[in-house]
Amino acid sequence: MMLQTRPYEFMVKYTQQKEWIDGRGNFIAFAFFLGGISGGLYLAAVYFNNLLGMFIAWLLSLLMGISYMIHLSKPFRFWRMFMKPGTSWIARGFIFIMLFIGCTFIQLILSYWFPGSAAEVVFKILAGIFAFAQSIYTGFAVSYVNAIKLWNSAILPILFVICGFSGGLAILMGISLGGSEAQIMAIENVIRVILVAFAVILVVYLWNTTYSSAAAREAVASLMGGNIAAIFWVGVVLLGVIIPIAVSVTTYFATEASDALLVMAVITEILGSLALRYVILKAGMYSPLTTTE
Amino acid sequence: MARWGMVIDVHRCVGCYTCTITCRQEHFLPRNIYFNRVLITEEGKFPAVRKIILPVQCNHCQEAACVKVCPTGATSQREDGIVLVDSNKCVGCRYCAVACPYQQRTLYKDPKTEYFPKQGFTPYEVLGRKLYPYQPGTILKCTFCVEKIDAGIKKGLKPGIDREATPACVITCPARARYFGDLDDPESEVSRMIIEKKAAPLHPEFDTEPSVYYIKS
Repeated sequence: MMLQTRPYEFMVKYTQQKEWIDGRGNFIAFAFFLGGISGGLYLAAVYFNNLLGMFIAWLLSLLMGISYMIHLSKPFRFWRMFMKPGTSWIARGFIFIMLFIGCTFIQLILSYWFPGSAAEVVFKILAGIFAFAQSIYTGFAVSYVNAIKLWNSAILPILFVICGFSGGLAILMGISLGGSEAQIMAIENVIRVILVAFAVILVVYLWNTTYSSAAAREAVASLMGGNIAAIFWVGVVLLGVIIPIAVSVTTYFATEASDALLVMAVITEILGSLALRYVILKAGMYSPLTTTE
Repeated sequence: MARWGMVIDVHRCVGCYTCTITCRQEHFLPRNIYFNRVLITEEGKFPAVRKIILPVQCNHCQEAACVKVCPTGATSQREDGIVLVDSNKCVGCRYCAVACPYQQRTLYKDPKTEYFPKQGFTPYEVLGRKLYPYQPGTILKCTFCVEKIDAGIKKGLKPGIDREATPACVITCPARARYFGDLDDPESEVSRMIIEKKAAPLHPEFDTEPSVYYIKS
């Protein structure tokens, strides 16, 4: 079992990153989670033409912004974060979030007052683009960090997007309960595919990461058998993958899907999505400076 | 234009922590903030065990990850290679602290932390807060004693040669393990040491091109 780093072990043993997970750093994990499900929910809501889903996605994006503000030590300087989109993924993400919130707000007004208009379609497309950008940029922001080999993977943005779709579709199914059975079945059909894709990509990501460096192997070992193994196996695997897939298979063969089962699947998928961001950030580890690895 | 860099001879370093303490004194660093650290560990299996003593600090990398990831431009690099943080622009997102492969950036959290808890600030700490008004919630890191370098150059002094213009950790080292100078000058002491003694930066695989080299072989 991985022990916590003692002060004299700082950067002479594998050192866990702390700035983006301890204390106030938890809010950036929460912001990344909200960005993923907000983007996924919006795209799913557009596909299934669910105005309430689009509105909730917009609210989740606002909540993401608030979570970011709480993470910052100097939140009233947030306006400076526009300054370097050329190289900084946090700057790019900030722009994507603002544009998504703005375009979605206009689109919601147009959808309510002028449904079917050309302007509504244009803003729906723009909001959809920024929803995807908002969902995927968190993966790029994390994978850009060359120093942490667990994160520095091309698969990570894809994993975050798929996880975001999974959570977003789960929320959409939740708000569709009590409505059209046909729509619920249609959403379930998409969720089945997304869940399987999520499980496969997660396995491929963790397996492939072990090939990159000893630090990455150490990080995966801590994920699967160390101090965060409980959150990984219960949160990500059980709640995020196994239970939703089990419910999905049950509803596939059942003539009528039980609402209680579906609600359970919705809750577990959302928790699994949050757990994934948390464990990935928590398991991030730096190589010791005293070795030549 | 000069490109300032440092060479550290690991074989000469005795692990006395004088560089760490002098740096803290020079910059009136708050408690728990270190610009210079000395890492000490052991490697090998008994009986072939050896002790490793490694002084580390900000490497002022040429392709600094911290400069690229900073969303506000608070972290920037001067023409002479020194990487600095403008505390007035820093939002405290800690992306730079996460991105640094050498972990030499620290968020300054609590301005009320006293050297002697519950005994108030010492006159030294009071003076330090006037001379170096570090902003809580912003990132702090080694600056290569940029104020000494700039003041020294204005007086016509040469950093790395004249003590008044050279970083404090370099001039204070009792074992003479540290050297400072212009990496772009092939005749400078640091450039000659890098070639003659095969000095290399830490973890070059991170592609940040550090300006601090280590003589290990």
